[in-house]
Amino acid sequence: MDFLDQILPLVKKPARYAGGEWNAVRKDWGTVQYRAAFAFPDVYEVGMSHLGLQILYDVVNRRPGVLMERVFAPWPDMEEKMREHSLPLFALESRRPLLEFDMVAFTLQYEMSFSNVLTMLDLGGIPRRSEDRGTGGYPLIIAGGPCAYNPEPLADFIDLFVIGEGEEVIGELLDVLVEMKGQGAPKRELLLAAARLPGIYAPAFYRVLYHADGSFRGIVPTVDGVTPGISKRAVKDLDRAPFPEKPIVPTTEVVHDRIMLEVFRGCTRGCRFCQAGILYRPVREKKPETILRQAANLVKNTGYEEISLTSLSTSDYTPVREVIKSLLDKYARQGLGVSLPSLRADNFSVELAKEVQRVRRSSLTFAPEAGTQRLRDVINKGVGETDLIEAASAAFREGWKAVKLYFMIGLPTETDEDLDGIVRLARAVLALGRKAGVPRGRLRVTISASSFVPKAHTPFQWEPQAPLDELRRKQGYLSERLKERGIVFNYHDAGVSFLEAAFARGDRRLGAVLARAVDLGCKFDGWSEYFQLDRWLEAFRLAGLNPEDYANRRYAYDEPLPWGHIETGVIKQYLAQEHQRALAGLVTDDCRTTTCPGCGVCSCLEMEPKFAGGEPYPGL
Amino acid sequence: MRGVSRIPVYRMMYAKVGPARYISHLDLLRTFGRAARRAGLPLAFTQGYNPHPKITFAAPLGVGISGEAEFADLELAEDLPVPDVAGALAGALPEGLRLLEVRQLKGPGPSLMAMVDRAAYRAEARAGVPVTGEKLEQAILSFLSRPEILTERKNKEGKKNLYDLRPGIFSMSGELADDIIKIEAELKTGSTGNVRFEEVLGAFEKTSGIVLRGKCVLFRSGLYAASEKEKMLWPG
Repeated sequence: MDFLDQILPLVKKPARYAGGEWNAVRKDWGTVQYRAAFAFPDVYEVGMSHLGLQILYDVVNRRPGVLMERVFAPWPDMEEKMREHSLPLFALESRRPLLEFDMVAFTLQYEMSFSNVLTMLDLGGIPRRSEDRGTGGYPLIIAGGPCAYNPEPLADFIDLFVIGEGEEVIGELLDVLVEMKGQGAPKRELLLAAARLPGIYAPAFYRVLYHADGSFRGIVPTVDGVTPGISKRAVKDLDRAPFPEKPIVPTTEVVHDRIMLEVFRGCTRGCRFCQAGILYRPVREKKPETILRQAANLVKNTGYEEISLTSLSTSDYTPVREVIKSLLDKYARQGLGVSLPSLRADNFSVELAKEVQRVRRSSLTFAPEAGTQRLRDVINKGVGETDLIEAASAAFREGWKAVKLYFMIGLPTETDEDLDGIVRLARAVLALGRKAGVPRGRLRVTISASSFVPKAHTPFQWEPQAPLDELRRKQGYLSERLKERGIVFNYHDAGVSFLEAAFARGDRRLGAVLARAVDLGCKFDGWSEYFQLDRWLEAFRLAGLNPEDYANRRYAYDEPLPWGHIETGVIKQYLAQEHQRALAGLVTDDCRTTTCPGCGVCSCLEMEPKFAGGEPYPGL
Repeated sequence: MRGVSRIPVYRMMYAKVGPARYISHLDLLRTFGRAARRAGLPLAFTQGYNPHPKITFAAPLGVGISGEAEFADLELAEDLPVPDVAGALAGALPEGLRLLEVRQLKGPGPSLMAMVDRAAYRAEARAGVPVTGEKLEQAILSFLSRPEILTERKNKEGKKNLYDLRPGIFSMSGELADDIIKIEAELKTGSTGNVRFEEVLGAFEKTSGIVLRGKCVLFRSGLYAASEKEKMLWPG
């Protein structure tokens, strides 16, 4: 009797830990030279919805002599059982403990998963701090993903950060690591060899300088052979890049339980709060024939009922219409659906949604982000009020009965007038629904308000977050005014956004806070049932730091930034210029148009935007 | 109507073991549907708002229990030879779901859910305190001799009430091999009354003085109609 099989019946959703899914790869442990575990610091259903996992799992497992397995953060009920029975954290494929792997590779998708990174190391019996893993044959701990672009809060714990798109660099990294393992090289040598690769950041070789008052002054290399700045890696041509055509199909329902077919990477819209919009530049569209070929293989290999065309803004994909039509022509008869994850608030997008959603079962979601045109210009969200009104009218006309509108509160320069604008839009959309004859009982306008978090590498990276009390006041202000039949108002815990802001712009000193917080029991901070602000505040206090100094402070243009050594290819002058334009209420054009706004990414990375041709987006 | 036309329904006997024993009942429908798509089988769909493949199961199996001979019906949109259906599907199931036998239904008959009346179970666990085979046998006999065996159940509103398990226990036996206790039972299953094996084991442990250490490993070894036990749920 396998011990795990005695524990699993006692926990919720044991399929999270069982493995054995369709297309999972189980390589022979004994015959490979190098063993890696992909670690997602959240629960299985979230991790398995992440396309990056499927991409890297596929790339690494295609390589002979190397295997990659998966590990997720166990839900607290399972964590408790594991601690009770001294069962170390294990990978799903071989059920072997993390300690037996050569490498554990974390993906950092959001700041509020950082506590789970440490919990997973703890459960794996792996010392948290990189410096405590110098000898002893511990696995190499690496991390990538969007939060690796400000790696400093995790720099004490992670041996190597991968900056940029993993599939571009993982092969070179494995070449080095496999060779060094064969030579039995000590860890320091191995780190140094890896750190010479472009896009790899090894914090151990950089020293942080502080001012007399303890504040951040800069980061400098301490050894020869590593560069002062680390530039991101990016795939040049997505048509030729590896894409997983045999992704793992979970047997339990996950968040995105469908084919995720990436149609392009990057976004040219230039919303000034958006970090993904900077990190994934330039835009690289796949050719329609690539998408159709991949779709055919994915349908055959997964058995999924739905194909989601994913990207940061799928209605911007140049040949979106012809691709949707081809997919529907080919697969609708087999009962397969096509879906679009995000829609722009305009007529064209509603038309697309109409084409793909024959049955109007779910609601349509638009993201105007701000309540007034003035503020939408500040954030460079190129959506006009008429666009939104037309889109909502079209949605109701076409049979949708529920519309969701996403807003952000606490944006730079926001006043109560902008909040009133949200209320006004909500009522206007509700009135459109009534006018279109949607039955009162079924008509629903959902307003979601998240709190603005200033993110590293964006034009708003210098901006303070509104103080916690002020965010709460704004939530209350809206809540009072959105009490109307047919309107639902949702908002997130402002405390989470506050901590997210502290870590998003944090420096290496936050490592101590993180370790204290985990010791105090912080985990699954993105989940409201586990988030505890008071414990985090206690952790800051114990470390002698104030979260307000990170979250609520205006950073100066000439101040060294803790993420200044990480280069996205977008130049700092451009970000500052965009910030200035924001404050002046000036919009900046999409770079799909002829004018290049000069962000610098193409010359820095020696790349250029790639468009698939076909009918251009009619909104331009 | 053509004389030969009949709705092609295939009755499958399968095992749900290993990692697949943790697939919940709801997820199992999706898993079979996706496997059938991968197998390239022409699925038949339910009508209506949210069509799903026409797959029906005899009786839900508790998460974590290994099923050794489970039953489900799969309806297709085309009449295909049994070996083709079985071969394609067998190659498309995830680890732990194993197709054991497929037969095409000859005509209309009772549904699996209407047919199933009882199920055979087996539990294996280490003894928590030393026990002899004789003592185990005695404990089971005295357990079965009770006029009623009450257990607490919660209804949908979360209200507790007492339920008598005894009429739903058709047989029960035990044996000892080294320090592994093996208990077998045949229990009422289906829409006209359902007794869960865990309930029986819980009640047995509470009153018998037999202590099962840790968690038992549970198996459902067969599903049966009210009559003709040897045929399981195969049609006449």
